[in-house]
Formats: sequence, structure tokens, C-alpha cells
Amino acid sequence: MKASSSTLRIAVVTTFPPGSGSLNEYAYHLVNALRTKAEVSELILLTDELPDDQAYPEDGGFGLADGAAPVSIMPCWRFDAPANAFRILRAVQRVKPDLVLFNIQFATFGRGKAPASLGLTAPALVKTAGYKTIVLLHNIMETVDLHSAGFASNALMARTIQAVGNGVTRLLLQADLVALTIPKYVEILREKYAAENVILAPHGTFETPPEPDYGCERATRILTFGKFGTYKKIERLVEATQALRSNGHPNAELVVAGTDNPNTPGYLAGVAERYREAGGVRFTGYVSEEDVPVVFREAAVVVFPYTSTTGSSGVLHQAGSYGKAVVLPRLGDFAELVEEEGYTGAYFEPDSVESLKLAIARVLDDSEYRREMGRRNYLAACGLPISEVADWYVLHMQALMQQEEI
Amino acid sequence: MSYHTLIDSQASVYSPAGRFDAHGIGAAQEWLQAQYQAGVQFIIVDLQEVHFIDSAALATLVSGLKSCRSAGGDLVLCSLQQPVAIIFELTKLDRVFEIYPDVTDAANAASRHVSAWAQS
Repeated sequence: MKASSSTLRIAVVTTFPPGSGSLNEYAYHLVNALRTKAEVSELILLTDELPDDQAYPEDGGFGLADGAAPVSIMPCWRFDAPANAFRILRAVQRVKPDLVLFNIQFATFGRGKAPASLGLTAPALVKTAGYKTIVLLHNIMETVDLHSAGFASNALMARTIQAVGNGVTRLLLQADLVALTIPKYVEILREKYAAENVILAPHGTFETPPEPDYGCERATRILTFGKFGTYKKIERLVEATQALRSNGHPNAELVVAGTDNPNTPGYLAGVAERYREAGGVRFTGYVSEEDVPVVFREAAVVVFPYTSTTGSSGVLHQAGSYGKAVVLPRLGDFAELVEEEGYTGAYFEPDSVESLKLAIARVLDDSEYRREMGRRNYLAACGLPISEVADWYVLHMQALMQQEEI
Repeated sequence: MSYHTLIDSQASVYSPAGRFDAHGIGAAQEWLQAQYQAGVQFIIVDLQEVHFIDSAALATLVSGLKSCRSAGGDLVLCSLQQPVAIIFELTKLDRVFEIYPDVTDAANAASRHVSAWAQS
């Protein structure tokens, strides 16, 4: 099981296309990145067995002509089967890799509670057999809503499953390293289980959005996008737009793109009726996929009229991918979260129309500020390519192998 | 951003300031590229003035580390402030990089490395 630092033979326990198990696409991109690293000499994918009418491509579908490390596929476990952990261990013992990487989440090995849990003992079994193991864990039990996920029908069942989940998590933590993609998950496992082998590793992005044309917007257009009525409320934004129109920005126009939140039917119609005399406000209704880029491109600024938040924002990521300047509420730790992700914006006090007006005006009035903010947000939306995340894993793998050599 | 060359032409110090993130890594990458092309073996990244680091900047450092080590050198860090040190601990990249308390210690390590490299 020894390897020099430049020749890692890695077994990856994972789902993989054309298999339809969750994380299959992630596995494809991660393996594709790993195989190009000079430190990796071979990748053996220990995948789930496909139905009789399907087959994995011999080389993972990557081909061999590009000089990258060879990839082979060994189907050795079956979704919902009880003996997967032992079958995986036997496969690892046949392959004899330097290191085993598990790309998994809590339901990787089964829909049923028993096969799902039994499968998750595989990393501990493989580790006990003497192999270096890294678990890339995409979710943790502590944050799964067991009711919503359909795993528990009552409180007693939920507590029982949670107790089993705690045990399974402790087994997963037997791995040399457990990599998580969200800082909060790392904190939870470190605090609850006193785990010192838990690390943060970025998820990585598969594609980089094309560089936007920063000068193509209509300099007077304000956009807000989403499903409105619960915590996204536009009354103050409409009033701020009116204030702008009567104070130096006569052509300012607000585009409200999107629909009512399902929990607040009729909200937008009510706002439209209330402000029917107000000029410069347009409600688009539902925006189809092909129209989304146009809506964003034409906006000079995207405003987030939130009254509360539940973490980061998908719309912010969208705005960033189109290189847009944004106006954000100063709410709790929202600003901190946003900045941690690399985004930036002009901030306003959520209960003040004047503050919102000033923040929007600052963006509209200063094209250089707007462009710079849009550029920064685009870079944040691009995220970290998975090929660079693969470098992190390789470094951690090398560090583990060096520990063994010492 | 500021930087200067140190210890003959074999070691350089890079000193980013403020936010070291996706927005600022272009300059860092260009500078690193220039060092590789000039044959610099040992790079010190002084994080004394950095109060925020994101995954893009970490990736730039990882990439620099790989390039330096593959050429027989190293990229080391020094003077990590607490918010930055937390990120390195969270990612366990503090086990991958050599980290020194200050630039003097890092420079001493560079001297030793360069001397050993010259004798090899």
C-alpha cells in the first residue's frame, strides 16, 4: 500500500454516469479533474451495479488519448442491498489502491434505513483493513429534516433514526479525513463529535459562466427578481423608485420579475393595485428560462428587498453570473455571509425607503462603481473550478501517504 | 499589494493586503508566474496585512505550492492573522503548507533551503 508522492492509485467509491444515483454527475467531474493531475497514476471507480440493459463505458467515457491517468470501473455494490460494505471491502482488497475516496451522502447506499446505514459502515471497514480513507460527505444527519425527507413519520421514529445516524456518523469519522463542503457542517461535526479529522473542501464548480458584457445595461433600470410576498416584499422598493423619479432620476424604472410566492397568492396583484398611479413600475410575471438572461442583462442594478433571510441567495448567484451590481439589505449576518462568498453590494436599512433610495442612486449614478461591483460579483459567482478543488484533495492524499511513510 | 525580492534571486516575498480573494488573485497569479519564469525557488507569502481570504485565493496558494515543489522549491506562509488562520485550520491546509510566525523566520527557512539547494 505504499506509494511515492507522485504515483497515487486511487479507488473511488461512488455512483457514476450512466448510473442514476445521486452524486453521479459530481463524481464524473471530480474524477475527470483528478485523472489529469500529475500525482495520480490510476483511478479505479467502485460503482453501483447497473440494470442489465445498461453498461459503464470501459474507460469511464474519458478516453485514453490525452495522457491523463487511466480510469477503470468495477461495479461492486447495489443500491438498497444489505451487504454493500463487505462487497466494497472485498473489491478494495482486490484492487489494493494507495487510498480510497468515498464520494457519498447519507442515502447513497439505499432508500431503506437499514441498507443505507449498513452501506455507510464501508469506510470504517476499509480503514480497519489498513487502507487510507477519505470520505467526501455531501450532507450530514444533523441537518436533514427527517420528516420532510420522508424518513420519519413521527417524533419517536425521528429520535430513533437520529440516534442511529449519530452512530453511523461516528463510524464515518473513523476515516482518515472527512471532507465537507459547507463550513457549518464542519463546525457541527467538530463540536458534536469532537472530530479533528473533519475538513472544509469547496464543492467546486463544473462550468464557468461566460464573461458578461458589463456595458450593456440600461442605466436607469432597477430589477428585482424572485417569488414575492413572504420575506421578499416590494412596497418600499416601489416607493424608493418613485422617490428616485422625482429626485434627479426621472427615467428610473423598476422591473418586478417573477411571481407570487405560493404561500402568498395575490400579493403582487395587490401591490400593483395599491400603486397603480405610480409610474415606472413593470410587472413581468413568470420569466421563462430563455428570457432570464435578457432580464438580468438589461438591468443596471438588482435589488434584494428582503425583510428577513434564510442564508445566502440563489438570485444573488444569478445576478453575479450576469456581472450585476446589487443592492442588499443590512439584515442580521446576511451581509457577512454575502461577503464571505466574495460578493459585494450597496447596503440599505430594510425599514427605510430613504436608505434604499440612496443605495440605488449610488449605483445608478456611478458607472465605474457599478462596473467594479459587477465584476467582483461575477468572479464570486464563478466560484472555484473543480479542477482546483481536486488539487486540494491530492495534497491531502499526499499528506496522508507521507504520514504512513514516516 | 506589495512585494520584493529577497535572498539573492532565489527567494521572493509576496505581501497581499486587505481582502485576498477572487478579485485580487489575478495580480498574485501574474506575480507568481513571473517568479517561476525567473527561476525563483522559494516563495514567502506574508499574510500579515490580510484580514480575509477566500477559496479562490487559497487555490492560488495551493497552485503556487504545487508549482514550487515540483521545481524543487517551496511556497511558505507567514504572519497569519486570526481570521485567516481559522480558514487554514478549517481546511487543514495548515498541515500542507509550512507556516512561520513572521517573515524573519520564513526568510531564515528560505536561506537554509536555498543553501541546501545550491549544494545539492
